[in-house]
Amino acid sequence: MSDDPVVPDIKVKKLFRKTVFGVFMLFGAIGLSTSILNVYTVDTHLSEEYISNSKGIAKTIADASVDILLNRDLAALQSLIDQFLEIQGIRYIYIANESGDFIAHTFVPGIPEEILVGDALSTETVERSLPGLGDFVEVGSPILAGVAGTVRVGMDRGLIALKIQRAIGQQMWLFVVVGAIGVVAAIWLVNLAAKPMARLMAYAVSLAKDDEPENPELLERDDEIGHLARLFRHFANQRSPGDR
Amino acid sequence: MLTRRTLLACSLAAPWFPVRAATDFGGVSEDEFVLGTSAAFSGPSRGLGIELYRGAMAYFEHVNRAGGVGGRPIRQKIYDDGYQPDPAVTNSTTLMLDDDVFLLFGYVGTPTVTRVLPLLKKFQDRDMYLFFPFTGAAPQREPPYGDFAFNLRASYGQETAGLVDNFVAVGRRRIGVFYQADAYGRSGWAGVRKALSRHGEQIVGEATYRRGTKFTSVMREQVNILKAANPEAVICIGSYAACAAFARDAVDMGLNGVPLANLSFVGSENMLKLLSEGRDDAERYTDLLVNSQVVPSYEDVTIPAVREYRDFMARYNPEVPAELVTEEYTPFPHSFVSLEGFLDAKLMVEILRRLGDNPSRKGLEQAVFTIRDFDIGIGEMVSFGPERRQGLQGVYYTVVDQGRFVTLDDWGKRFANVG
Repeated sequence: MSDDPVVPDIKVKKLFRKTVFGVFMLFGAIGLSTSILNVYTVDTHLSEEYISNSKGIAKTIADASVDILLNRDLAALQSLIDQFLEIQGIRYIYIANESGDFIAHTFVPGIPEEILVGDALSTETVERSLPGLGDFVEVGSPILAGVAGTVRVGMDRGLIALKIQRAIGQQMWLFVVVGAIGVVAAIWLVNLAAKPMARLMAYAVSLAKDDEPENPELLERDDEIGHLARLFRHFANQRSPGDR
Repeated sequence: MLTRRTLLACSLAAPWFPVRAATDFGGVSEDEFVLGTSAAFSGPSRGLGIELYRGAMAYFEHVNRAGGVGGRPIRQKIYDDGYQPDPAVTNSTTLMLDDDVFLLFGYVGTPTVTRVLPLLKKFQDRDMYLFFPFTGAAPQREPPYGDFAFNLRASYGQETAGLVDNFVAVGRRRIGVFYQADAYGRSGWAGVRKALSRHGEQIVGEATYRRGTKFTSVMREQVNILKAANPEAVICIGSYAACAAFARDAVDMGLNGVPLANLSFVGSENMLKLLSEGRDDAERYTDLLVNSQVVPSYEDVTIPAVREYRDFMARYNPEVPAELVTEEYTPFPHSFVSLEGFLDAKLMVEILRRLGDNPSRKGLEQAVFTIRDFDIGIGEMVSFGPERRQGLQGVYYTVVDQGRFVTLDDWGKRFANVG
C-alpha cells in the first residue's frame, strides 16, 4: 500500500465557472431590466407623440374642412382626407356632420360596427380594437367649434408596437454581442489564471511524493502563486525523515 | 410605383402641313394648337382614357386633315397618370409650366381632377383652363374652382338623381350604395344621399372598395354588407373592373332580383365585356344592370352626331400610339366613352374657331361664353355663360339586351318592384 498522498484530479477551471455564470447572469439581468424600461419609455413617448401628431392632423383637417363643408362639396372633403391618409401611422379618418351622420370616411369595405354605434361627435381620445383591422388610438377635433361636425383620426397602435419591437430587437442584439464578448473574455481570463494554479498543484503533488522538482520559474514568481510554491517547499523541507 | 408615367408627344399634325416659323403665343403658335392631357392609359381603368382619347382623336383628325382651325392643326401632348392623383398633379404641372400647352383637355377621373384644380387656381395668371374632364363631380362645377373648368357632360348629381327618382318611381325605395373609397365615390354617394332625402329616404347600406381594384378581386365582404341591408336596388359608383367584380359576386352570392345601377364613368362596354367574356350564362350577371349615360346611344343612328361619330371612327380608326400602350387592351369600335370624347373634341374645335385669327388664352373664356344654343348634333343645345359652366344636362339610361347596351324605355316593365 502506498503512503503517497491522494491528489484529486481537480481541474482548476471549475473554480471559475461560477464567475463566468455570474457574468452571464449579470448581463442577462441588465438586458432584461433595460429592455423593460426601454419598452415602457418607447411606448410612452411614441404614444404621446402619435396622439399629439394625430390631434394636430385632426385639427388641420377640421380647419380645412370648414369652407368645403359650407360649400357642401363632399368630393373635395373626401379628397382632403385621402391625402392625410398617406401619412405614416394614420389608418383611418372619418368626418361626421353636426347631426352625427358620417359624411366622409376612408374605411374599406365599410364603416366598422364599433364606430357606427359610437359617438361620432366626441372629441375624446379613445383606444379602439377593430376586428380585422387592429388596435388604434383615435383622436377627435371639432369643426367650427363643433357646430359643423367632428373629424376623427385613427392611428395604428400596431405601428407603435412595431417600433418598440425594433428598438428592443436592436438593444437585444447589442446585449447578445456584448455578452458574448464578455463570456469569451471571462473564459480567456480564467484560463490565464488557471494555468499557474495547475502548475502549482503539480508542484505540490511532486513535493508530496518526495520528489524535489526544480521549478525555478514557479519559485521565482513574484505573486501569490510564487509565495505558495515557496511555502509548500518550506513545509516539505521541514518534514522529519520519518514523515517522508 | 402604381402607375407608369409615360410621355407622348402625340402629333396629330399631319405631315402634309408645311412647317412655318413657330411664333409662340403661349401654347398656340402659328403652327399649331397644343392641348395638354393627363389621363389613365395604364392600370385597371385604362379603358376609359384610351376610349376617350380615341373618340376625341377621330374628330381632331378630321379637322386636321381639313386644314386645322384657322390653318393650325390641333396637337395633343399626353401623359399617363394611371388614374392616380399624384402623377396627375405632376403631369399637369409639367404641361402648364414646361410644355406651356394652350389649355388642358380630356382629363379622366374625379380623384385626379380634384387634385389638379388647385393648380389651375395657383397659376390663374396664366389663364389656364381645364376643358371637358371625364368626370361628373362637383368640385370643377362649383366654387372655389368652378371658374377654372368647363364641363360638357351632366354631373354625377344629375345621374344619381335620375337613377334614384326612377327607382323610387317603380317602388324601389330601399337603395344601397357601393362606391370607390375616394372623391369620385364620395361625389356619387353624396348625389344618391341628396336625391333620396328628397324622397324622405336614406341610404340603407353602403360598402366601399379601393381605387385600382381589379376584376379578379373578391367582393364578398362588400356583398355581405349590402345584403344585410336588404336593398331593393344598389347604385354603384366605381370603375368597370371593380363594379363588374361586385356584380359577379353579388349574383353568385344570391343578391338576386336587385338591380345594380352604374354611373357613366364606369365604362359600360368594358364592364359588359368582363361579365360576358367566356361565359355561357352571361345574362345572369348582366340582366339586372342599368347604366346611366351622359351621351345618347351610339347605336341610335337617327342622331346626326352619332352618324358623324360612327363615320369618323370608321374612316380614321384612331389608335392609341404604341408608346402609350403598356398593357393589353382591345378598343371597341364604338363606346359611350369614345362618343363623349368625340363630342368633347367637336365642341373644343368650335371654341378654338371662335378665338379668331389671333388666338390667346386670355380670349378663351369669352370664346366659350359665345357658345349659346350650339347644336352639337345630339338634339340638346349647348350653352355656356358666366353662371353656366356645364354644356349638357341630359342623362340617358341603358340596359343590356342581347349582349349590348340599349336605351331603357320602360323602367316599370324592367325593374318594377313586385315584392
